Amino acid sequence: MNGTKLILTRGQATGLNRPLALTPGQDLKGYVASLLGRAVLFLITCTSVLAVLLIFFFVCREALPFLSKISLSEFLINTEWYPEADNARFGALALIAGSVYVTIAALVFSVPVGILSAVFLSDIVSFRIRAFVKPVIELLAAIPSVAYGFFAVLVLAPWMQNKFGFSTGTNALNASLILAVMALPTIVSVAEDSISALGPELREASYSLGATRFETIFRVVIPAAHSGIIAAIILGMMRAVGETMVVWMASGNAAQIPRPWWDISQSVRTITATIAGEMGETPKETPHYWALFALGVLLLILTFSLNVVSEFFLSRAKRALGKQ
Amino acid sequence: MRLSFRYISDKAFTGLTAVSVVLLSLVLIVVLAPMIWRGSSAVVFKATVEFRKMQMDLFNRGEPSELQAEIARTESFRKEVYETLDKFKKGIDTESLSDQARRIHRQFGSELRLRNITGDEYTQLRSLTRELRDRLLTAFESRDIAEIRENIEYVSGYKNDPRLTDTSASALFELGTNYLESAQSIDLKQFEQYSESIEEIEQSIRDLFGPRPGEPTPAGVRLRYGATRWDQAAKCLDRLFWAQKWVETEPAKPLIKIKLSRAHQFAGTELEKLFEYMEQNVQKLLNPRLTFYWQYFIDDSFNSHYFGGVGPEILGTVLITLLGMLFVVPLGLISAAYLVECASDNPAVRIIRMCINTLAGVPSIVFGLFGLTFFILYLFPLLGAESKGCILAASLTLAVLTLPVMIRASEEAIRAVPQTYKEASLSLGASGFRTFVTVTLPAALPGILTGVILSLSRIAGETAPILFTGAVALGPVPKSVFDPTRTLSYGSYDMAVGDRISMMVPHNQYGMVVTLVILILCLNTLAIVLRTRVFKKLKGQ
Repeated sequence: MNGTKLILTRGQATGLNRPLALTPGQDLKGYVASLLGRAVLFLITCTSVLAVLLIFFFVCREALPFLSKISLSEFLINTEWYPEADNARFGALALIAGSVYVTIAALVFSVPVGILSAVFLSDIVSFRIRAFVKPVIELLAAIPSVAYGFFAVLVLAPWMQNKFGFSTGTNALNASLILAVMALPTIVSVAEDSISALGPELREASYSLGATRFETIFRVVIPAAHSGIIAAIILGMMRAVGETMVVWMASGNAAQIPRPWWDISQSVRTITATIAGEMGETPKETPHYWALFALGVLLLILTFSLNVVSEFFLSRAKRALGKQ
Repeated sequence: MRLSFRYISDKAFTGLTAVSVVLLSLVLIVVLAPMIWRGSSAVVFKATVEFRKMQMDLFNRGEPSELQAEIARTESFRKEVYETLDKFKKGIDTESLSDQARRIHRQFGSELRLRNITGDEYTQLRSLTRELRDRLLTAFESRDIAEIRENIEYVSGYKNDPRLTDTSASALFELGTNYLESAQSIDLKQFEQYSESIEEIEQSIRDLFGPRPGEPTPAGVRLRYGATRWDQAAKCLDRLFWAQKWVETEPAKPLIKIKLSRAHQFAGTELEKLFEYMEQNVQKLLNPRLTFYWQYFIDDSFNSHYFGGVGPEILGTVLITLLGMLFVVPLGLISAAYLVECASDNPAVRIIRMCINTLAGVPSIVFGLFGLTFFILYLFPLLGAESKGCILAASLTLAVLTLPVMIRASEEAIRAVPQTYKEASLSLGASGFRTFVTVTLPAALPGILTGVILSLSRIAGETAPILFTGAVALGPVPKSVFDPTRTLSYGSYDMAVGDRISMMVPHNQYGMVVTLVILILCLNTLAIVLRTRVFKKLKGQ
């Protein structure tokens, strides 16, 4: 010791000089403070609610003048979208069909691959390989949509045109392939979560009855996890419906319903691509401008209802797990 | 039989699942590999002397004396190319030859007027040179060697005429003999092809070497330099050595492109040795050198990204991202803390959760519409700011977009902190708030950081929401957050579907998108590594 002495007065270090019992005033103050704190936190948390309300309000507000001008039925049933013509037509059916078309085509590609991958990750493979594959899926999800669009336009489109002799490389097939890749990470991760959440009991029961792995997964695991898998597919669908850059760049942007309907090599145009492509050049407070917002409302309603459905299935999956 | 079927189906199924996962990994490689491979050539490539000239002029980079020496060296080799070309062109470019003949005639006329001669003599000489001129013009337009020879020989007959020696008219003879010489060396039937081909050759040489020394500097930056990169030079050389032609092999089949050797086409003429010379000396003509152009990431671009880098785009992306994080991190963190620590399962909280899920599901383009109407058209005018797309509006829009990502990630991180930590702290008498700040938050911090990084990468990569709220394809570097900016994401879109100029520079197209992709992949890899370590740590304890 070099002479300095640690001098501690009573309670300095520990705060023990404070009385242990609080006066009623202090008690009340603490209570009010914590209540206030909670209220402030609650209000801050409500930003999300506010954001949702503002989005609905402001997008709908700009769309309302359109709905007062053009009948809803014409908007939804007519297939002619000529917003800049002298006799402007605002029939969005071709655009809606385009969105539905690429989404369904994307799901056709991504659902089998997604569910099989989810099964592989949850039931078949060892933990080490799983730890290797998971980041791959996360990286697939992380690549920005504009990069996928770039790939679609500059790599996939010329390749398709040369390989299959399509009249144009930017078509529904191109867009749906890329959308399938973008929807895959969502489908795989949500489906895998719900499949592995089932627990070993069901599987063990099935194996003990002599079923093979294929039979166990197809007859027992997937039926038991069907709610979660449906939720996964719907979430993947939402990703595909709401995607903008890829379809704008890769789908060819021709407002038409493919004829014959199965000809996937034709160009289509989606709702999102129409908004993205036309909003920049449209003057404000014109029917065209309002029509684009009406398309936005349509998208909002579409994704909102899909969201509600997926929530329903996810909560059902949770409840089913709780019952076991 | 049945047993073997079951066995086979089981194995097939297992195989199929494995194939689908391999497919996933393959997709990642197929998407990333070509982009990274071609994008890296924006930074690492063989740069020619033209590149160093461009860097010197536009960015004031490099050693002037060294560059001057290099330019002089390449010029000395280029001189030969230009000379060969000019010599051949003298015989082939009949239009300029005819112009010259007319000019000489006119000049001689004005010379005569100054001379002290009688009107008779004047008319006589004038009509003589007029005839010589017309003979030459006939020879220039003729495609028949006999006719040419006849006309030129007629003209040459006057070579020793005392009235014409030592006057400007004597240039006519030289013109004639030169033309006869070159006309004898070429196949006159191919005359039209020659003049067409020579135009293409001149263009290729201009693309390779830039404007000739002594020519006025072109106004467009793009035209001021030749091929700055070795891959571009190779393309120019290909056009120089090979003529492309579309031919029909079979009726009613698409045309097929074939390549014809120009050296073969010009065999036997003066120009033939040009091709050989260029092939042998191409290294000396352009002086390619492997260059690591790291300044690509800080340089501004010229002429729609023809030259330069992605500096302003990176700056814009970083500005928007950081400003967005400033809004979203506190909001997301507090929301997550409230949802984990304070909220019980009551209707209000259920509505909040539902709204967060809804927000996560709103399509990105709708966020763009929202940003346009709410921030730009409603909020900014209300607060007295200018109603236009700007960095602030873009980052606010993106903040709303990433709020659910941030909330979910932080919630997960806070939930992952073991209950025992909190209980220990509470049992020591700490208040709930103090427990959260001093115990839960530090333990959850790496997990929260993961969420922050994920939101960062989401903000940096999104394009659709900023289309109408603050991104521009071309424009000045922003001075404040109230200016619109270029971003990597919008720049990638613009270059992918852009004009012809960006198609001419694929390395810059890919360079832009690869900068964005690598930025985001690095952020995500960081997040993944961080999360694995945190979960290992929390699990181990």
